[in-house]
Amino acid sequence: MSDRAKPRRPQTFRLDDPDVVVVDTEDAGRPGRGSIQITPEADPAQLPVPVEVVLPARRGVRWGALFWGSVGGLVLLGLGLGVTRLIEDLFARSEALGYVGAGFAAAAAIALAAVIGRETYGLVRLATIEKLHARAAAVLLSDDRAESRAVIAELLRIAHANPRLARPRAELAGHADDIIDGADMIKLAERELMTPLDIEARRLVSVAAQRVSVVTAVSPRAMIDVLFVFVASLRMIRQLAMLYGGRPGALGMISLLRHVIAHLAITGGMAASDSLIQQVLGHGIAAKLSQRLGEGVLNGLLTARLGLAAIDVTRPMPFAALPRPALADLAKDLLRKQEDEEK
Amino acid sequence: MVSLSELVEEARLSARALLDYGESFFNPTIRLGVTGLSRAGKTVFITALIHGLVRGGRLPVFEALASGRIARAYLAPQPDDGVPRFAYESHVKSLVAERRWPSSTVDISELRLVIEFQRSNGAERTLTLDIVDYPGEWLLDLPLLNKSYEDWARESLALSRNEPRVHLAGAWHAHLATLSATGREDEPATLEAARLFTDYLRACRDDRFAMSLLPPGRFLMPGNLAGSPALTFAPLDLPSEGSAPDGSLWAMMARRYESYKDIVVRPFFRDHFARLDRQIVLVDALAAFNAGPEALHDLEAALTGILDCFRVGRSSVLSTLFRPRIDRILFAATKADHLHHTSHDRLEAVLRRAVNRAVSRAESTGAAIDVVALAAVRATREALVARGRDKLPSLLGTPAAGESANGEIFDGNTEVATFPGELPADAEELFKGGAYRGLSSAAADGTDFRFLRFRPPLLAPDAGGEPALPHIRLDRALQFLIGDRLQ
Repeated sequence: MSDRAKPRRPQTFRLDDPDVVVVDTEDAGRPGRGSIQITPEADPAQLPVPVEVVLPARRGVRWGALFWGSVGGLVLLGLGLGVTRLIEDLFARSEALGYVGAGFAAAAAIALAAVIGRETYGLVRLATIEKLHARAAAVLLSDDRAESRAVIAELLRIAHANPRLARPRAELAGHADDIIDGADMIKLAERELMTPLDIEARRLVSVAAQRVSVVTAVSPRAMIDVLFVFVASLRMIRQLAMLYGGRPGALGMISLLRHVIAHLAITGGMAASDSLIQQVLGHGIAAKLSQRLGEGVLNGLLTARLGLAAIDVTRPMPFAALPRPALADLAKDLLRKQEDEEK
Repeated sequence: MVSLSELVEEARLSARALLDYGESFFNPTIRLGVTGLSRAGKTVFITALIHGLVRGGRLPVFEALASGRIARAYLAPQPDDGVPRFAYESHVKSLVAERRWPSSTVDISELRLVIEFQRSNGAERTLTLDIVDYPGEWLLDLPLLNKSYEDWARESLALSRNEPRVHLAGAWHAHLATLSATGREDEPATLEAARLFTDYLRACRDDRFAMSLLPPGRFLMPGNLAGSPALTFAPLDLPSEGSAPDGSLWAMMARRYESYKDIVVRPFFRDHFARLDRQIVLVDALAAFNAGPEALHDLEAALTGILDCFRVGRSSVLSTLFRPRIDRILFAATKADHLHHTSHDRLEAVLRRAVNRAVSRAESTGAAIDVVALAAVRATREALVARGRDKLPSLLGTPAAGESANGEIFDGNTEVATFPGELPADAEELFKGGAYRGLSSAAADGTDFRFLRFRPPLLAPDAGGEPALPHIRLDRALQFLIGDRLQ
């Protein structure tokens, strides 16, 4: 009872007492007549609870991977054989040429090893972030204190690369030994570490969406639209991944893109189209703008939707304490800009 | 001699475990131990759990049911023919139709539930859940297994000389003073001592004191052994040195104490506790809040003693074969619906503090642990009471007939809003001496907490016929206890 000078005493009121007024939730705030007002609260158990869709884990032999793996191996063997032959031929012609060829081959091998190393690192990083996301979500459910500390330690390790998080990191490390329950600890970490990143992520998505909407509105050919949207989306996803601590290379980007599209398909096909139509119609934008500009806005919104899915995939923690950025916010930015340009 | 009988007991347990393993190899089974002192809400928890699974309740956090992977769950004939069946149907009826909590359990009963489900990878499986219900008083006997008569007598006597027990033990103490431990054995005096001792235990259990540590449990709930010599003994004031002379009162009491352990406690432990897979420990902390800090300390001591008896730890192949262990324990503060949800975290903190020793012991062995505030059947709604500038987070419900507040006795039909008092942010403060005033030391209107006992909620039947029972965090408890076996 340290937080309060005197704890409040237990009390009981009969509902049929003349002094007691039961106020409906709808018109709460209107002053009632009695001296004691009772406002029943919405039953938390009756509120809808989102159930996360769990994708079945892949089991058994992955034939596709085996096929591509073995084909890749064969190609590599063929290449190796070809290069050895070439160098042998070069040596046969002249020793100096042979040494030059061998030097090139060695340099190529070293570069290849470096590229493979970087790609592997990128893939491992992505997998780590994905696993961290799942673990944090599990802790939010189980409220496990020890596991939450492990998740936080891992998170701090990843966040170490980002100098902008130096101060939040120090704050969070200071809380590590406090008595805080598992789920609360995860939420605290989310508030400390993710707030600056979320703001930046929203800006990135917003910028990409605006760029797409402007370019598609003025571009002369459909082919250029498609190409530009593709490049802009890739760039946005890459930036988001870098922001949240991932280091995707080429393979990493491919796997990331697959995840983003899968995520888009699972969570938001319906929701996206609904809110899109609402946004467009609600603002009467189709009537106000020329057809081209309207198309541009639509493309921008689609990019924004893709960006939101990418945020969900690349973020190392689920949205629990902070609000998930909504398409409506981004759409508002976009429309405001378009309307400004219109004037 | 002692070591021999212990060896035999161990061998029996191992043989049993091996047999169980063979059975569950073809038919995966979880033995769920529902542990709790009397009035902790074991029967209601079991009823709500079965109802939720069989009827398909609102359990969003229980992933297997929420995502639709459980095809159906049904009651099956139980494995032991010698144990009564858990009266599930009549408990549901009394909860839903009569709005009455099931009456207190007087004998052991058992139930088997079969869950048909599809694994995440598509394979269709069944999981069998065996649940046992028993009077919570009997649980108090488990710590006796490791105590001699002399230890127990000294502890009981010391305990009965503390506040507030000493006022209740007056008659028994007076009679005790007339007995001599080394005197000749004397049946009438023993009968009288046992009767007075039982009366004292009963008095301690009154709501005003809500004491928990009251072994032996069969004295309070004798079942079919009432009046037998195994239940006719009492603590004596023993000399600190020496052993019992032949033919003395002391020797007779000690003999009966040992036969109590052999006849009552060991079979109970062997049949129902030595082979559990998962355990939920239900704790009613609110009764202790009502009564006072002494009741809270007593609860802590009783729980610690009981939990020391269980075999806890991460399961391995070898342990599953010969010495089954409990690999998941959930500590649940029941009746969370008697508190506003903003106080649930504090209730959890109090429980965590009370079972601190058991939690750290279980954690060091690698078992999974969780603490949760739950209500298997939710009897109240939440409301905000505004009086002047005061805003009290309160509860709406119908108190049971005979409950009283503000000097008024309720008839069981009046709806009230009640603010039960404020739990401190730091659980440690409740455990300090004289931290708060309860019914044991203050008048009814001067206490710091007042948790009324509410009737079960009024439920409107919905399309499915029988209404789903409202609850608080029952789904989280289920997810923790059996969710991993339904993956």
